[in-house]
Order: sequence, then structure tokens, then C-alpha cells
Amino acid sequence: MTPLEILTAAATGNPAPRIPVFCNMPDHGARELGMSAKQYFSKGEYIADGQLRLLRRYGYDNIWSLHYVGKEAELLGCSEILFADDGAPNVADFVIKNLDDIAKLDIPTDITLHPAWQSVADCLKILRSEVGGTHPICAYVTASTTLPAILMGMDKWMELFLLGPFDVRDELLRKCSDFCQQEIAALRALGANVLIYSTPFGSPYFVSRKQIEQTVMPWMRRDLLPGGNEDIVYYCGMATFNDVIDLVFDELHLKTHYISPLADLAEAKRLIGNRGLTCGVIDDIKMIHWSAEQTRAEVKRIIEIGKTGGHFLFGNGVMPIAVPEANIRTMVDAAFEYGRLP
Amino acid sequence: MLDAYIQSYNQAVFETDKPAALEVVNQALNDGFSPEDIVFKLVIPAIELMMTLIEKDPDANLAQHFMTAQIAADVTEKMLEKFSKPPEMIGRVVIGAAYGDLHSLGKRIVSGCLKSLMVDVIDLGTNVTAEKFVDTAVSENAQVIAVSAMMVHTATSEKGSLGVRSLLKERGLEQQIKLAVGGAPYRFDPELYTKVGADAWAPDGVTAAKVIVDLIREVKP
Repeated sequence: MTPLEILTAAATGNPAPRIPVFCNMPDHGARELGMSAKQYFSKGEYIADGQLRLLRRYGYDNIWSLHYVGKEAELLGCSEILFADDGAPNVADFVIKNLDDIAKLDIPTDITLHPAWQSVADCLKILRSEVGGTHPICAYVTASTTLPAILMGMDKWMELFLLGPFDVRDELLRKCSDFCQQEIAALRALGANVLIYSTPFGSPYFVSRKQIEQTVMPWMRRDLLPGGNEDIVYYCGMATFNDVIDLVFDELHLKTHYISPLADLAEAKRLIGNRGLTCGVIDDIKMIHWSAEQTRAEVKRIIEIGKTGGHFLFGNGVMPIAVPEANIRTMVDAAFEYGRLP
Repeated sequence: MLDAYIQSYNQAVFETDKPAALEVVNQALNDGFSPEDIVFKLVIPAIELMMTLIEKDPDANLAQHFMTAQIAADVTEKMLEKFSKPPEMIGRVVIGAAYGDLHSLGKRIVSGCLKSLMVDVIDLGTNVTAEKFVDTAVSENAQVIAVSAMMVHTATSEKGSLGVRSLLKERGLEQQIKLAVGGAPYRFDPELYTKVGADAWAPDGVTAAKVIVDLIREVKP
């Protein structure tokens, strides 16, 4: 079976030789090509090449088209990204510097015509052509209730979210939701078929359940309304969200859940059951200092919790560059070994 | 009588309802309580209660932490203007986001709580070099340097808290200036703080204020 078929089997509960093994290494491609981060992220061709080389090196099941989270801010007018050769790029220019800028924020009528989109399109075109028939192609979309954090800074956004003025907040959310809808449609059109919907404000770690139900949920529904939700993965930026899994099923009808390493995985698996797909996620920050044996033991623990009953895949967070290559290799190999199915 | 205000104020803070919290403060002032009473018997106990609640229930959410700090800082600032004499400050901390890190929410929560706990806070902003942390701590006689890092590479970089530790060691300042760290990577690896040369860490902004006060007391009993 191809990795794409193995993923489909896990989602539908059909037989497969093993569980799917996902690995996310968006920042490692530059090193793979011997480039600076700034150069690597400048062209979609480089990103596709780097990710394809990583896929061939480690042999996991998915491939990423993500450039960096700040790409979305660039599509909305951000003019400066702070690149680092040892980690993820940062947004260095907030598009919204004061509340008056929200009225002026312009959502492109077609984001695919924006110059910053070109590299995304170029990358996905190559990935689709090279591995689209065999591998899941992952893309990253920030939810409307979280996107403002990279447009104005998390503290300013938290203040506006909680204290208002609420008409201004809702105007920003409407614009961000319009953008989110467009981005999802554009990524699907280019062949992305696993869309990681990043929604930290959909986690009770960020805001209360009441705030999720009353304020966040209606915007998430709006973000995801067009085009169905079979390919959407609920992901809260590594924050825990077991307490809202039922709510996400009921309100958003999302079936795939990317569980935080800090969450109780057994509880998450029990809550999701056969209704959807549970992703057990390793704490890859600890992998920086773990031995290969510790890494292997943790992979075994996660898979033993999740594998029973199927509907399970293994994944990681955002693999820090400081994680030794031997530990990445051990993680992937152990996931294949312990993930074998009878 | 103040007990009723404490209960109402705490309720408002936990529900992240700033207008309701400020209304409680105004009502208490109208009923004759002093600005000193408001800070020392209402605001500070509310922060301490939040610290206790977080210890018991680490799932208290970020919005509650943020509002605890913001309301406390706002009320304290307004009340301080009305104090009959300036309060005695516990100590001084230099805070900022690590070099290469542009995130500011965490340090804003920490700063808000510290100000209400009568700690002088010198906020250096984001993307701060190790040299600037140490030079400022020396020139301002701070007892603690607090380095916030939301990304793995800014937490572990030689230019972040490891750089601060090197400079403190090099200049013989380790006994008089303590180093605290915080931010998402430390939550995922609770041992990480030892690997970046810090004296202490905290899993959230409100608890960080307590950790920093404890460090100040180590240096300045």
C-alpha cells in the first residue's frame, strides 16, 4: 500500500500493514540543501526539493508544503520576516500597529495573485507532480481567531479578543475568516490533501470553554464552511484540547485530531474512538536531549496507547533543528516497527 | 466587609471581566477603603489565589493569566498614585524576550503580576541581547534577569539565556544576579531550564512572578 492508502485505511478503519507515520520538519530543508534559511524560504522549488530529500532520507509517510507561519502575514502586507538558521522564522513587522489599521486591512480578492503566493504554488506543483499520487501532502492554515496574533502580536490580540472594542474585533475576525476560506480553497486546488487547521484559540489552554463555545466556535464554523471538512486536521499549536474533542465533533464535524504531547493520549483516544483519527504526538523538544533509547521507548509508549482499535497515526510537533539526526532516525524507525498491524 | 469585595473581584478576574473587576475596586474606594487596602488586601491576595489555583489546576487558561496580570497592574498603577507614601519595593527585575524572539505576551503577564507584587520591572522589550540584559541589570541594581523565549532555538541559543549565564559567570555576578526563564519550550521539557543555565523557571506567567520574587529574596533577604 502507498502511504496515502495507509492513511485512508487508518481513517476508515480498513486493514493496513501498519499505522501512518507522519514527520514534520519544515525548518530542516535549508540544512538539507546547504542553504541559509532566508535563501531556502525564498523559492518554492527549494522548499519542495528540501522536503523531498528529507522524505527520501527518512521514509516517513507525509510531505509538507509549509513555508513558515509568517507567510500568511506576508500575504496580508507584512514586510519583514526575521529568519534564523537554527529555528523557525518570526514575523518582524506587524501589519496592525494600532486598532485603526484594522479598518484599513485589505484582504486580497484573490490571494493566488499575490506575489507572496507564488512560492507556495511552485512548491505544491512540484510536490503534487513528484509524490501526489502516493503521499499525503500537508498544508498549514491558521484559523481566523488565531491569525490576528501574527498580524498584531499575541498580547495585543489577546487584549482585543477579551476586552474589545468588540465591533473592531469582529471586523478583524471577519476579514481573517475571509482570508482563511480563500487560503483553504487555494491549497486544495493545488493538491494539498491534509490541511492542518491551526487553532490555538480553540484550546481550553488559551481561553475558557465558554469563550470557545460563544466566540471561537462560530468563527471556526465560518472558516471551514466551504468545501467540506474531510481533509481538515484539528490542531491547537501543541496546546491540549481533550476537553473540547466532543464539541469539535458536534459543531465542526472534524474527524482528525492532532493531540498535544502534554495531553492524556489514552483519554483522547477513548474520546475519539472509531469516530475519527487520533494522532499521537511525541514531545520532540525533549528529543533534543534524549538518547536514542529514550526516543525509542517514548515512541513505543505512544503507539501502544493508540494502536489498539486502529484509527491512529503517529506524529511529531515541529522537530527542532537541534534534535540529533540519530534521534529522528530512531523515531521514524521505531514508529514503523511498533506501528505494525496484525 | 472586604471579604465580599475580594470574592467579587476574584470572580470577575477569573471570568476575565475587567469592567466588573474595576467596578468592585471603585465600589470599595467609595465605601471608604484606602488605596493601600485595595492593593495589599484585594489585588495581591487575588494574584496569590490565582497562583494557588494554578498549582492545583495547571489547566487554568492563558486568558485568565493575562487578565489577572492586566487588571492587577492597572489597578495597582492607579492606586499607587493615591498612596499616602510610596510603598517599599521588594526588589528589581530586568525582563525581556531572548535574542531573536519577538513574542511579548508571556513577559507582559509576568510584568503585570510583578508590578502588583511591588517589584520594580525594567522591560527591555523583545529580541534582547545577552549583553543588554546583563549591562542593564548591573546599571539598575536588579536582583533578577528574566528571559522569555517562545521558540526552541531562542530558548537554547548561545545568544539567549546561555549567553546571560556566561556573562554573569565571567563578570563574577552569579551571587548577586539570578536568572529566571520561561516560555513554551520549557513547558514541554521541564528540565530544559538547567540546560540553558537558569536558576529557575516557571510554566506560566503568573507562577513566574512568584518564582522571581523568591529569587529576589534569595539575593536580598
